[in-house]
Amino acid sequence: MKKEDKKRNLEYGVDDLPPAGHLLALSMQHVLLMFVSVGLPVVFAGQINEGPAFTASFVTFSMLAAGIGSILQSAGLPFIGSGYLCPNVCGPSYLSLSLSAAWAGGIPLMRGMIIVAGLVEMGLAPVVGKLRRIFPEYIVGLVVAMVGVSIIRMSVTSLFGLEFRGDAIRGTDIVIGMVSLLVMVLGNLWGRGLLRAYCLLAGMFAGWALALALEPEYLQGFSRVAQSPLFALPAFGAGFGSISFDFSMMVPFVIIAVSGSLKSFGNLLAAQKISSPGLESVDFAPVRKGLLADGLSTVLSGVLGGMAVDTSSSNIGLAGSTKVLSRWIGVAAGLLFIVLAFSPKLVVAVTLMPKPVLGASIIFAGCFMICTGLLEMFGEEWEPRRTFVVGMSLIFGLSTSILPELYARAPSMIRLFFTDPLPTTTVLAVFFNILLNLDRTLFSLRRRS
Amino acid sequence: MPDCSVDAKAVGRGKRHGVGIPMLCLLLLSGCVAGQKAPDPELDRYQYRDTKELVRFVHDAAQRLREEGLEGIEELRRNRERYRTPDYYLYVYGMDGTNLFHAGMPELEGRNLLDATDKDGRKVTRLILDALRNQRNPHAWVHYTWWEPGKFYPVPKSSCHFSVEMPGDSTIFVGAGLDFPHEEKEFARIAVDDAVALIGKDGAQALARIADPLSGCNFRDVSVFVFRADGSMLVSPVLNGVDPRMNIVECVDEAGQRPFAKALDQLREKDRCWQVFMARSRYRRQPVKKGIYLRKTMLDGLEVYVGAVTALPEPP
Repeated sequence: MKKEDKKRNLEYGVDDLPPAGHLLALSMQHVLLMFVSVGLPVVFAGQINEGPAFTASFVTFSMLAAGIGSILQSAGLPFIGSGYLCPNVCGPSYLSLSLSAAWAGGIPLMRGMIIVAGLVEMGLAPVVGKLRRIFPEYIVGLVVAMVGVSIIRMSVTSLFGLEFRGDAIRGTDIVIGMVSLLVMVLGNLWGRGLLRAYCLLAGMFAGWALALALEPEYLQGFSRVAQSPLFALPAFGAGFGSISFDFSMMVPFVIIAVSGSLKSFGNLLAAQKISSPGLESVDFAPVRKGLLADGLSTVLSGVLGGMAVDTSSSNIGLAGSTKVLSRWIGVAAGLLFIVLAFSPKLVVAVTLMPKPVLGASIIFAGCFMICTGLLEMFGEEWEPRRTFVVGMSLIFGLSTSILPELYARAPSMIRLFFTDPLPTTTVLAVFFNILLNLDRTLFSLRRRS
Repeated sequence: MPDCSVDAKAVGRGKRHGVGIPMLCLLLLSGCVAGQKAPDPELDRYQYRDTKELVRFVHDAAQRLREEGLEGIEELRRNRERYRTPDYYLYVYGMDGTNLFHAGMPELEGRNLLDATDKDGRKVTRLILDALRNQRNPHAWVHYTWWEPGKFYPVPKSSCHFSVEMPGDSTIFVGAGLDFPHEEKEFARIAVDDAVALIGKDGAQALARIADPLSGCNFRDVSVFVFRADGSMLVSPVLNGVDPRMNIVECVDEAGQRPFAKALDQLREKDRCWQVFMARSRYRRQPVKKGIYLRKTMLDGLEVYVGAVTALPEPP
């Protein structure tokens, strides 16, 4: 263990290899959080009217891509991967466009367009090194905080157990979610040893047990586990045999790829802040390699026939809040995800985790992301122009989530850039930072000449 | 920032048990509940929690009346508040349309509402009596406009009903409804299946009934339409009385797809299907997903298609 890490009283630093049992349990903690995203391929299959056989194969391929992506991202390979504990999950930002592609040209077109998006992400990776000047420390902090903010909708609606928009909230779901969250938070603050390291796991199982006791619906779901086989290979149906492309879909897929890259950029910056807090400025080499791995994983998911993958904000938050940062946990979580992909019984068992418990887990991880970002943002001496850079970026960025109906009728150029809080805030912060510092830039240029 | 240091010894002691035991318990539990039957499998017809809770509420009240008979109605009156929630309230009618109990509007008790109509002209009680006899509509759903107790504006409502055999061979029905209800796929399914049954019974004469805005085939944004295999319309989804000369099979959605052409492909191998398509929304950046329920049937020796469009549940 590094001296620097020992000083911070860490159990496992980025390069530490935990003992096998501990590694397995800590990886499982991450895998349970990664499972939040496994619902996406199921939703996808339902939306394109596919049956259980397709859904099972699609989930398997998506999990395979996410598992391989997690290994690539965390293993610390020479030319690819950030080397941080930064697992991959099925990317929610790709869901809507992937559906459009599937409706237009079936699974072959969806695969082709995901490959294009992945290649765009890979192409953007080398440019990251040039971003040093336009991403000062306080903007990095803002981006990290926004990673936490971007999970608010998913986490809160999950905590209240909502399945569909407009559904009623059950009192029991609030109790389950809050108890689960409290066990996680109090285990983290007041717990010692195991309870502290596994506070998320403890909260998950406490909430799950409470859900089974309070709400019959959660208990009934388990009959599906018994009906599922322990091991199954994916079936290569008609949709998985070919790949096609459509030029008319290039523009939206390129835009979503850029947006996805920005999100992963924020995630990787957050992972770096958590893993190497001693760094005085951003080290862009691991971020560049991380984006390359993210793009390659997306290409891979297209080739395999699964959903596009993305880095997971929640898992980075979990790593930060438990301060268990070993990249080997990311590798083991990826391996576990691959193994689970071939076991429908285990997949069904884990996907039965009550939504309020999942919501509690994401909120627990999100707290850490938001505070890490804010501490980073205000860590340096503040100056008035930063007030406007951060304020304006936040106001317009958050407005995409608070006032989505406003942007539904905006001119197409506005709609192009005002998509979600994280990418919009990031782009605007960079833009306003350059704009409001133009006087300084001109002054330094004049002095140089 | 919370400190999460770990005691190494404690980790060593507990590492073998980290996650295995709870996961094992959950898998064992799955075996235990595998043989259990869900309390009311009929609720699987619905997607929204509100709808499921409403059906269970009415189902339980009907069960209670079956067990307690007329005494049960007195019990309802003594515990009126228990049968009224902010979202729905219970009512009981005789089959002649006389209100026996109304948790939301007690002033209606004792009145005969057989011919009461809503603002659109629907004879609500008669529609309920028809629905109770309809085997395709197992929870006797009826859609109409009503008003909230103490308020003055009409609200859309969907109500479900159960008939109850009382001692002495009398029959009553119990019901409750949701104001501003969710659009369940089941509602569209019932409307289309009813229209297919009408065509099977009355042939071409059924088309006028299907097109009637006051029939059970049309409510809120759901309206049943009928078309031939070449796409020409018999009952239009957009106009009444005037042939809009549209070819529905050629129509495209917001994603440029031809959902009806796709649905007809599905119907080569089966007699009913669901097809998703994208529709424009004034309030969304992206188009919203909707569903078409389509059935194949015969009319005057020719194959025709009967369908309806409905909203689909969206993520929260």
